[in-house]
Amino acid sequence: MMIFSISGRCIAAPPPPDWREQLALTLGAKPRRIGSWAELGLYGALSCMAAAGETTLPQDAILMLASRRGTYTATDLVLGQIRDDLPMPLAFLQTQPSQLLALIAARLNWQGHACFFADTELHALLRLAAAQAGAGGVLLGWVDEMDGGSSNWLRLRPDAAAGIDFMPATANNEIFLPAVSHLRISSAHLLLGHAGIGA
Amino acid sequence: MKPVYLCGRGLACSLGLDVTTSLAALRKGNSEAGSCCLPGNMGGRFPYHAIAYPRSDWNERARELVQRVAIEAGVKPGCSGALFLASSSFDIGADEAGATQRNYSAFSDKIVAWLAWTGPVYMINTACTSSHNALLAAHALLRTGEMEEALVLGIELDNLLTLGGFAAMQLLSPDSSKPFGAQRNGLVLGEAVAALRLSSRETSNWKMLGGANVVDGSQPTGASLAAVTSMYQRALACSGLAAEQINLIKVQAAGSPGNDAIEAQGMLAAFNSVPALVSLKAAMGHTMGASGAAEIALLLACVEQGVLPAYGDEVDATLGVTFAKNIPESVRHIMATILGFGGSHATVVLEKA
Repeated sequence: MMIFSISGRCIAAPPPPDWREQLALTLGAKPRRIGSWAELGLYGALSCMAAAGETTLPQDAILMLASRRGTYTATDLVLGQIRDDLPMPLAFLQTQPSQLLALIAARLNWQGHACFFADTELHALLRLAAAQAGAGGVLLGWVDEMDGGSSNWLRLRPDAAAGIDFMPATANNEIFLPAVSHLRISSAHLLLGHAGIGA
Repeated sequence: MKPVYLCGRGLACSLGLDVTTSLAALRKGNSEAGSCCLPGNMGGRFPYHAIAYPRSDWNERARELVQRVAIEAGVKPGCSGALFLASSSFDIGADEAGATQRNYSAFSDKIVAWLAWTGPVYMINTACTSSHNALLAAHALLRTGEMEEALVLGIELDNLLTLGGFAAMQLLSPDSSKPFGAQRNGLVLGEAVAALRLSSRETSNWKMLGGANVVDGSQPTGASLAAVTSMYQRALACSGLAAEQINLIKVQAAGSPGNDAIEAQGMLAAFNSVPALVSLKAAMGHTMGASGAAEIALLLACVEQGVLPAYGDEVDATLGVTFAKNIPESVRHIMATILGFGGSHATVVLEKA
């Protein structure tokens, strides 16, 4: 059983209309040649880190990225090109979801364990996060382009969570609610803790 | 923490449709690549290690290969352990053939049905290091007691997207894979389906001690020296071993002019005395997301049977490393390394009883 506190979050489902401008402002320039899915992911990850008050991750932190459809848009483009000719190199790179891991690592000036999960169930993902995370915790994000786009991220730190009461999650998206301050993860359950409730 | 054993392995690759025939082909030196043809002015014919298995229908072929390797690895129908699907292309080949529409969950549903799997499923894509990240994840779940059984299934089957993408990036060799070779000029890709069955309940002669995956964004399409060095140091630390305790390293050495040199430099930095080295890329091709599982399945058989691949090309003396002529006597600790796209550098540490 592992308890994480949520020290930062970015809930962008959908992202605000000016998210591209916000990202350009954060990066100091408009990102180039990385694809719209990666841009959306970078926006969410950096917003989450800013909310957590961190500019980089600890060495023993892990980065977990999940998506229902990943780079489908970029892949469609390349599959259209490849019937008659080789794809453009950058277009092919944009089909690789792991490129977003490298972009986030580069932006945070960080080296460490990072992994992309395709359409993996939330509780299974959190169980793995609990098993793999060191004291530096986890930066965990879900990024998708469909339905107006979403880039939801949580910065999780291991926590004793004394005095917090936990209740079972009734829906997956509950973990993104602002009132949820802690997650308790066991093999059987995902429990949500609310700061200010309990002793 | 619980010990984690590698209890079963299965492999289908260009060398053969199981570990035994693959090892026999390796022993005989029967590892010449076939070829594939890519469209366009920069396309043409490239060497390619295809699995010699009928290609009537992409999904049917995938089903038969997945079931073969799972049975070989000792997987029982209805397993409730954790299933890790590791691939950089999933079933994009079926999509290209019009046999399916791209859908991650439909892909995992297919595999689950083929194996009658009942446990949680993780689909991992970190390009070439996908199987290694699946192994590291499986190891974490088993050693912490979250699960007792896991299967890592590396799947990389025929598709134009991967081949065309690598060709477009001018990463493919026009003739052959030359690991650490003086004349190395690129990668030769291949197909593989491989299964590694892990358990904390059952024991075997092979224990997985740990490993490390280090992502470095400074070189998103290639290897980074700092990350290679850090990967080895972290893997040693988490496995509780000193560098001198490693007897053998299966290297990436895919024949890339730049990456092979950085990999060699990283080993020289991490090890005072570089252990014996072996590469399997020239024999089976670089099988992308499946390569970690496929190469480990074959490597362990090589160690058990004392078989090493023959290297037809002269090693680049400027790299400062060379391949072992024989499997060292009394091999106990092995590292298996894969470097990949996305700045991903991964190695796992295995212990022989």
